[in-house]
Amino acid sequence: MSTRALLVTGGGGVGKTTLAAAIGVVAARRGIRTLVVTVDPARRLADALGTTLGTEPQPLGDEPNLWAAMLDASASWEAIARRHADPAAAERLVANPFFHAATTQFPASQSYAAAEEAVTFIDARAWELVVVDTPPAAGGIDFFTAPRAITDLVGGRLLRWMTGGNLPGRRFFFDRTARPVLRIAGTVLGTQLLDQIAQFFMDLRTTYDGVRRRAKEIEDHLRGAHTVVVTTADPTPLREAVRFFRELPEVARRPEAVIFNRTLPTSWIDADPSGIPEPLASNLRRWAAEAHRQQELRAEFASRYDTRMAVVPWQPEPPTDLDALERLVKASEGLEPVLWDTVD
Amino acid sequence: MLERRLVIVTGKGGVGKSAVAAALAIAARRRGRRVLALSMVGSGDGLATHLGTGPLSPVATELRPGLWALRIDRARALSEYLQSQMRVPAVATFGPVARAFDAFAAAAPAIREIVVIGKVLWEVRHDSWDIVVADGPPTGQIGSYLRAAKTIEELVPAGRIAEQAGWMDETLRDPDHTSLAVVTIPEELPTVETEELLAWLAREQVVGHRQIVANRVLGPLDVPATLPAGPAGDAARLHVALYREQRTWLDRLPADLELPYLFGLLTPAEVAARIADAWEAA
Repeated sequence: MSTRALLVTGGGGVGKTTLAAAIGVVAARRGIRTLVVTVDPARRLADALGTTLGTEPQPLGDEPNLWAAMLDASASWEAIARRHADPAAAERLVANPFFHAATTQFPASQSYAAAEEAVTFIDARAWELVVVDTPPAAGGIDFFTAPRAITDLVGGRLLRWMTGGNLPGRRFFFDRTARPVLRIAGTVLGTQLLDQIAQFFMDLRTTYDGVRRRAKEIEDHLRGAHTVVVTTADPTPLREAVRFFRELPEVARRPEAVIFNRTLPTSWIDADPSGIPEPLASNLRRWAAEAHRQQELRAEFASRYDTRMAVVPWQPEPPTDLDALERLVKASEGLEPVLWDTVD
Repeated sequence: MLERRLVIVTGKGGVGKSAVAAALAIAARRRGRRVLALSMVGSGDGLATHLGTGPLSPVATELRPGLWALRIDRARALSEYLQSQMRVPAVATFGPVARAFDAFAAAAPAIREIVVIGKVLWEVRHDSWDIVVADGPPTGQIGSYLRAAKTIEELVPAGRIAEQAGWMDETLRDPDHTSLAVVTIPEELPTVETEELLAWLAREQVVGHRQIVANRVLGPLDVPATLPAGPAGDAARLHVALYREQRTWLDRLPADLELPYLFGLLTPAEVAARIADAWEAA
């Protein structure tokens, strides 16, 4: 079965997870065998999907074509270590306090784990469409650059700095006179931490070939995937959306479209409040100003990035079941054409 | 909050964290206090635009009388930190050594964070300003900054960096000195994320004082039983539904301060000024 991947990207809090689920529902109801892969859905969206999601794909409700799974990015580094290092090195890595602290803080690790899991689902060839709700992390573009970042970390930029490029023997680390950085680092950090760091990088280095190969595969998959960018007409998510249009073409395909969520009707902009009693007239004026602001920002985005656009109306209450998710797409303008052009 | 020496502002991305930080700085300045507004992470553009100025310099610059601003530049802060705190000779803080240390800082836990939080606390110690308002990292990352000193103490029992960690930890935990403003909006995900941060703060005890600031809060709207057809009725229905939705989140996580939803096209500087007005009125 040939599998298409649709990555639903965008900044945090724009309704990306809900839209990914909604897209999954309409695709499945069109007869496309669909898996929705989501990160940590909000409580009420999980309720709307009508099931407790696990990391294994499971069918949703009575839908013959719809599956969903949740990405588990938590135990990722341990999994990387165990998969790619020999057992003794893996044990040492996992037990190293520096390993624990470094990996939980390395920003790309969550994105990498999510990307790796998503690719596993795409590779399974069990679905015609895999809709991936990407983790917001520190800028969603991470999702695409994480494989490279992981390879760089494991390949040891730090290791090279410490050793001048040669793969070192352990002894090298303790010859601190050899490199001034080690002398300074020893003074500042203390020798104990330095030893842990050295051990960490030496053990990590043994995973390099495995990690590099897998990261390359993941990168290739992401490069072939289709992307839509979700945003609202607010400054922070718009900046994030701009980043996708500017930077994504360098590492993957250009986004297929931008989806403006929580859109107010343009008909409000010029609505005449005369004859309307207060406080409804003032309320209309305020929301008309919002509708106008949104329209301006959409127009600016469209003219700057020359992209297809879809608008999804502002729904005050989140969808409570699969039908409501479907209605969200049906009520949108321009979303279905983008979808069918991409996945059919 | 404005009586303290340091206010660190955090919040989930997109809730208006930088706008609130800028508004705080403006409100403090209106009270005649000497203010330093600084951006802890990133380009600092969010803070800059809300202060109505261009890109921020890594050196404190007076924007208008009594209001100074800077953005923390990590490499520069690291170099300063190595020299002034770690007593590393200046010559060693540039070139390959600094780059190597920066690589360390990128991979090693808490080092990048302690350099940044150390810079913030160092500015507070300075007598040039009465209050430092820090536009901090987002909710998801603030923990590693606030905890950096503790982490260093646990991870690095020896070394000069451990000696410095002690006073930083104390300063952050002094409730009369430091306050953490957690900005949120009354929606599900920001509420959940704020609750998670509050639970974490309760466990870790790394800051002495904290305040929840709810941004973009809608006011109540008195509507008649039957609404007219057309935009006025639709806008009223939307407002009432959003208001109800917001109140459920504010009931679940009450805010110490509610800031109003600002309608229509405003420049970032106008947004910050309006929030500062609301702050003063509260």
